[in-house]
Amino acid sequence: MEIINGYPDYMRESINEVVKTRQARLKKTFTPMTMDERKQVLDKFHPDYKAEGKRSLAIGPNKGKVTLSEVADLLEAHPIISPKDINLSQIDYDVDVLIIGGGGAGTVAALWASNNGTPVDKILIVTKLRHGDSNSMMAQGGIQAADRPQDSPVKHYLDTYGGGHFSNKPELVRRLVTEAPSIIRWHVTRGVLYDRDENGDFMELSGGGTSRDRLHAAKDYTGMEILRCLRDVSRNRKIPVLEFTSVVELLTDGDRVTGAVLYNMENEQYSIIRARATILATGGFGRLHVQNFATTNHYGATADGLVLAYHVGATLRDMDTAQYHPTGAAYPEQLVGLLITEKVRGMGAQPLNIDGKTFVFPLEPRDVEAAAFIRECYGRKKGMVTSTGMSGIWLDSPMIEILRGEGAIEKNLGAMHRMFQRFGIDMRKDPVLVFPTLHYQNGGVEIDVEALTSVEGLFAGGEVEGGVHGKNRLMGNSLLDYNVFGRAAGISASEYAKKTKPGKLSLKHLEKYEKSLKDAGIKTKRRAPILLPEYRGKEALSRSIDIDKVVYA
Amino acid sequence: MKIPYYPGCTLKAQGLGFETSAIASAKAVDIEMMELQRWNCCGTVFSLASDDLMHYIAPIRNFIRVQEAGYDKVVTLCSMCYNTMKRANLLVKNDSEKLKTLNDFMYREEDYKGNVEIVHLLELLRDEIGFETISKKVIRKFNELKVAPYYGCMLTRPKEVGIDDWEEPQIMENLITALGAEVVDDPMRGECCGAYHTVNSKDLVAERTRMIVTSAKNRGADIIVLSCPLCEFNLGTRQKDTIEIYSDFSGIPVLYFTQLMALALGMGKEVCRFDLHYVDPRPLLIEKGIIEEGEEKNAR
Amino acid sequence: MPDKVKTKMIRVHIMGKEHLVPEGLTIMKAMEYAGYRFIRGAGCRAGFCGACGTVYRLKGDYKLYFELACQSAAIDGMSLTQLPFVPANKATYTVRLIKETGNPILKFYPEVARCVSCNTCTKACPQQLEVMDYIQAALKNDIEKAAKLSFDCIQCGLCAIRCPAEIAQYHVGQLARRVYGKFVKKSNQLNKRLNETNKGKFNSELDELMKMDKAAIKQKYTERDLESLAKKK
Repeated sequence: MEIINGYPDYMRESINEVVKTRQARLKKTFTPMTMDERKQVLDKFHPDYKAEGKRSLAIGPNKGKVTLSEVADLLEAHPIISPKDINLSQIDYDVDVLIIGGGGAGTVAALWASNNGTPVDKILIVTKLRHGDSNSMMAQGGIQAADRPQDSPVKHYLDTYGGGHFSNKPELVRRLVTEAPSIIRWHVTRGVLYDRDENGDFMELSGGGTSRDRLHAAKDYTGMEILRCLRDVSRNRKIPVLEFTSVVELLTDGDRVTGAVLYNMENEQYSIIRARATILATGGFGRLHVQNFATTNHYGATADGLVLAYHVGATLRDMDTAQYHPTGAAYPEQLVGLLITEKVRGMGAQPLNIDGKTFVFPLEPRDVEAAAFIRECYGRKKGMVTSTGMSGIWLDSPMIEILRGEGAIEKNLGAMHRMFQRFGIDMRKDPVLVFPTLHYQNGGVEIDVEALTSVEGLFAGGEVEGGVHGKNRLMGNSLLDYNVFGRAAGISASEYAKKTKPGKLSLKHLEKYEKSLKDAGIKTKRRAPILLPEYRGKEALSRSIDIDKVVYA
Repeated sequence: MKIPYYPGCTLKAQGLGFETSAIASAKAVDIEMMELQRWNCCGTVFSLASDDLMHYIAPIRNFIRVQEAGYDKVVTLCSMCYNTMKRANLLVKNDSEKLKTLNDFMYREEDYKGNVEIVHLLELLRDEIGFETISKKVIRKFNELKVAPYYGCMLTRPKEVGIDDWEEPQIMENLITALGAEVVDDPMRGECCGAYHTVNSKDLVAERTRMIVTSAKNRGADIIVLSCPLCEFNLGTRQKDTIEIYSDFSGIPVLYFTQLMALALGMGKEVCRFDLHYVDPRPLLIEKGIIEEGEEKNAR
Repeated sequence: MPDKVKTKMIRVHIMGKEHLVPEGLTIMKAMEYAGYRFIRGAGCRAGFCGACGTVYRLKGDYKLYFELACQSAAIDGMSLTQLPFVPANKATYTVRLIKETGNPILKFYPEVARCVSCNTCTKACPQQLEVMDYIQAALKNDIEKAAKLSFDCIQCGLCAIRCPAEIAQYHVGQLARRVYGKFVKKSNQLNKRLNETNKGKFNSELDELMKMDKAAIKQKYTERDLESLAKKK
């Protein structure tokens, strides 16, 4: 098998077809689907719509609600600690605001708790990896904010609500879209370098499901640029962070959350924290590999927050869906599942089948686009199949330089270009192969408009919370979400902490939880939260080729 | 003539007026100085230990940049950069083994072949243009302005890199005369300003400043003219510390030779950046009738 | 579909210990295959977080190579170690209070002046950034250039651990970018929109949307005009 510029010869044949149709395609766009067409492709091909992937929860506040099996497995599992093994009498940390998670939402929450008057030494961020290691750091395409004259928060609302299949909590969407411009302003005053035109206005692109060009980007390192800047602010302000430490259980006084049990991942010691207010900012669940999909998510995305919240009786919502990003890398093997930003399509690259033909409007909402890719690969058998058996769709990246001039890719998509170049592929000259990849936890712990969960003393911001995006999130709304609701959570928790006294610490809720497992007749050795995924030995292999195990009728 | 130009770091910060006045006045006498696209710090202070190759990398890398651009000559302004780079260049030109070691270390760059020359702008003015030609272009009258040239250490020593005779240099004197000002002969013109002692021993530098500036002043100088942003800092800005220690001390303005030249050639306002000098020369220049009242207001 | 390729096994030396792993894995997955479970040394696993900086040599080659374990393939005969943490002091500053005059970067990181232009940092950068050039730009107070050249920095710290002048380049880049943010032209559109939202300009329209029944809002959603389509036409 000969490899030419990163691609084996059998793939080159298909690339030649892509090249042949390119000129004609430059002028044409595939027609967007009607609502009916969307429904058809979703029903038949979107992983969320497969009944086998879900089940009805047997215990807890969401009992009877359909939930993704991988999540249900964690909720219908034993806690990893037992009340009798933990000494709650010695308090190791005593704070006003505890923030669980050191990604975007956690950092924003800490900054705004501090802005709201909570003393810095009474705030503590606990994170099981390093401060900043998170999905927030990896977001590439951009953040939505309706600030152009031809756009408005009203249009942003409609896009978000419709994209979420009208299942979002309207009051959360409203807060999301109305606060968006103020978030951008906050960022730029702190030094976030968004791409701008010569007038100082932002260069904004469209994303899947958006009716206006609204994405503010910083090349294709948008998430990294925002978070490293906010982290720098946090470090200058000396906000305390405990790294490589996870929260394995929340503590309550029976009614409200009053603290947490910490676990030092390195020396395997437990410690106790008492907190007047607690914020969940634990991110999402990509590393559960829902339906065996590869994921774009960071190493720690194991749904810990959902488990912690459920143990203390918090309500979850929209846990029957997951977001599959249409364009995860499908080749080379080493990159399988990693994100190819939506910006690639936003800048003009079309998705094509093995014959080099278009089959879908490039910027449908993510679930529709992903379902259309799966239909093309498995329903119509028109995917490009690689040597590991993975089927993929071409993303015709060279179109970007034809449409926007030479150098456009290096300038705007440096991360993508670099990623493929490491494996000998030049995306300026050749298309890249993609397939949907597990990307985002649409639902989560239900919050109200002030970021309070259904349990007193417990707030949530970012990917862990549910309601903002309903059953499908639009591109560019996740960075916005963690900023808007991270800020809301920080301020609400800070306010709550001012009004309340430290509470008693107990793990009684675990006894209740164990009892409900028993009552439901669940016999399992599963324990949760899992903290980190298991990739040792053969798992390292299976993970890298797991998508071909998924069979579509 | 067109020639690549190496600025050095200080000219991009405190020494801004040195650069702008130099580029403008060079242009007025038909020298186009083109800043190198990529350059790094000169290495500041030539290392006297001959096996200290690490400190030769910076200057040699700059010569590679000139070579890459397809030139064999580069001009600079700062005496320190000039001295460091010229000496490093001489060292590798005379020692092919050291040059090879440096080239091997910098394997990502093309090899330096040792064919680039570095010259100081004063040399270009003297040798390529000629002071006579310059004097014909003088527009502004200096009205018996008395100018003491100051060489410091780096322009003339050691003699193999000096731009003029190391004991009896005349290059600045000749330029000043050509520009129509009066030269003040000052025996302190080759004394060291204190250089990097300015960081740790302000007192020592204040003593040097007192000695050098007072000497020029006692011999009737209205201003001192020099060619090094470090000397300018010590003789100029440090006058403030000098006054604190020696209450009877009073200073005079310190300018770059290029500012004098720019003035003579009819420029001033835009290019001289007099505002960046601790001792503002504008009141003196107005008093002498060299610039007009009001003209200085736009001098930024 | 082509035949499945048989996997060849290769030898990698992880901190001196030899392991047989299948060819074609990333260094990170090769380590996991060999039985390592990361607590440190793995973060985003996609080339953005800088947690998995890795240093290695190849058989018969004196050169040191620098990569991200998650973004490069394991090579037969390689001898590697990870550098999951780099001790480096970040300066404390308030960007709002930093003055434009002088060289603000040298004020907080005076060691930048110790750069001898050896370029070792650049050779150590797994992102292939021109690290030395941005440090030199910082030295000569060209903040825009320092910000732009350092923009793709993932802050893995490999530069800082290699630098003979003991500079923490990635911290310098962060400061340069934040200071540069002060100088960029402001967006009038954004300011205008903020004024409008502060005055509640969109409240009534949003109230209306929130009151609509599902059918009505679905209708409204379907009737949106798409800017991306309008441009094509």
